[in-house]
Amino acid sequence: MKRFAFFRGCFIPVRFPHIEYVARRVLRELDVDLLDVDGFSCCPEPVGFGLNDKLTWMAVAARNISLAEEEGHDIITLCNGCLYTLKQANVVLKENEELREKVNEMLAPIDRQFKGTVEVKHFAHVLLGDVGLDEVEKRVETPLKGLTVACHTGCHITSPLELMQFDDPYDPVVLEGMVSALGATPADYDLKPLCCGWTLTNYGSRQSASRLLGAKLAAMREGGADCVTVICPQCHYQFDMGQVIAVRNLKLAFRLPVLFYLQLLALAMGYSLDEIHYRNHRVRNSRFEEKVKGAQA
Amino acid sequence: MILIGKYLSLDESLNLREAAEICLKCGVCCVIKGHSCHVQYDERFNATRTYVYNCLAAEDPVENPNIWLCVSCHKCEEICAYDVSPIRFIEAMKAQAFQRGLMHTVMLGEIENVLSTGYAFPLTSSAARQREKLGLEPLPTASAEELMRIAEETGLARGLRRIKEAED
Repeated sequence: MKRFAFFRGCFIPVRFPHIEYVARRVLRELDVDLLDVDGFSCCPEPVGFGLNDKLTWMAVAARNISLAEEEGHDIITLCNGCLYTLKQANVVLKENEELREKVNEMLAPIDRQFKGTVEVKHFAHVLLGDVGLDEVEKRVETPLKGLTVACHTGCHITSPLELMQFDDPYDPVVLEGMVSALGATPADYDLKPLCCGWTLTNYGSRQSASRLLGAKLAAMREGGADCVTVICPQCHYQFDMGQVIAVRNLKLAFRLPVLFYLQLLALAMGYSLDEIHYRNHRVRNSRFEEKVKGAQA
Repeated sequence: MILIGKYLSLDESLNLREAAEICLKCGVCCVIKGHSCHVQYDERFNATRTYVYNCLAAEDPVENPNIWLCVSCHKCEEICAYDVSPIRFIEAMKAQAFQRGLMHTVMLGEIENVLSTGYAFPLTSSAARQREKLGLEPLPTASAEELMRIAEETGLARGLRRIKEAED
């Protein structure tokens, strides 16, 4: 069993605890042991927090990494934003001695030090690299045959490309491979690389966010999608709560439920919709539910 | 690239205005459907008045509230043929806005949340109840004291106090 320092972030434990619950169960079944580190804080969030002179952003990220270093385990995150912050800090601080010294001066009063001894991974990296997609496939008990899934990879796990090295930001295919491993069919749709619109909802107008989501959801629907899958909680929020708002604003005639990838994986491993806490989702759709139940029958 | 292998201090990032001069205003960073800036879905922007021009060409870009709409997805930087890197410019403007106390209120609240609880979002009683129902441990807040100490060291806490004083 491979052990990781579990960086659950803010959004999932506060807004979507049911996803944390599913992640803990599913990853344990895949022999991924999650070590809770009580001292972890917000990564900190890259868009809202990472704007000062980046020094605080970097220092808080370094503090989080130092806690994993003390435990001697690589970090696993459930969030693209946490990955973006922690991976950038980890790479830059390992490479840039002058900055590392400066950051460590900031950490000295709290008796912490960034050493650069661990790696930062998204759960998708762990499934692909540490567990292996073949092994994931072997654990599938009820292949999600007949289900067409629109994959939304998100921005911060793909860009900047030189650093993240996860997938092509303009033609992402990795998540599609992960969906195929579950027996489902990835939807081929237009607007695949388009952002979920998180900042428009939070710092701009909800009408603009709805326009974006409406266009993306329509493209997914046209591509035959029964549901959407994401690997980032902010994207999850946009496609769930944001979709509710978009449906009202744009009078959309359809609904596409969104599942965090680990929930989709759980369904393929034989969990029921109740066990993945699908009832907590704002967007539900009986056609999708019937297809899942049909695949699991 | 903003951070890879190179760290820009605030002093260095203040010199990014040249980005506005290099920009050819080709619009590629904003108008390629699905492959460019998502803020273009804001109805105030179009093919001739793009979001990126709006940020680069504002008389005082630091005071332009639209800078907060950038999600730092790097698409504008990756697609630009002239190495303008609008993201680098916009992030520098955000940093300067913070220095001038012009921060977006939602972000200010978020930073205060992080420094007081360790989380970017308010720890509500509803979240605590949901966690308990699922058998998940309550969320610890022990990191907050250390984060405030870091913020004092980096000058963030001083900057926040200045913004608060100006508001009062």
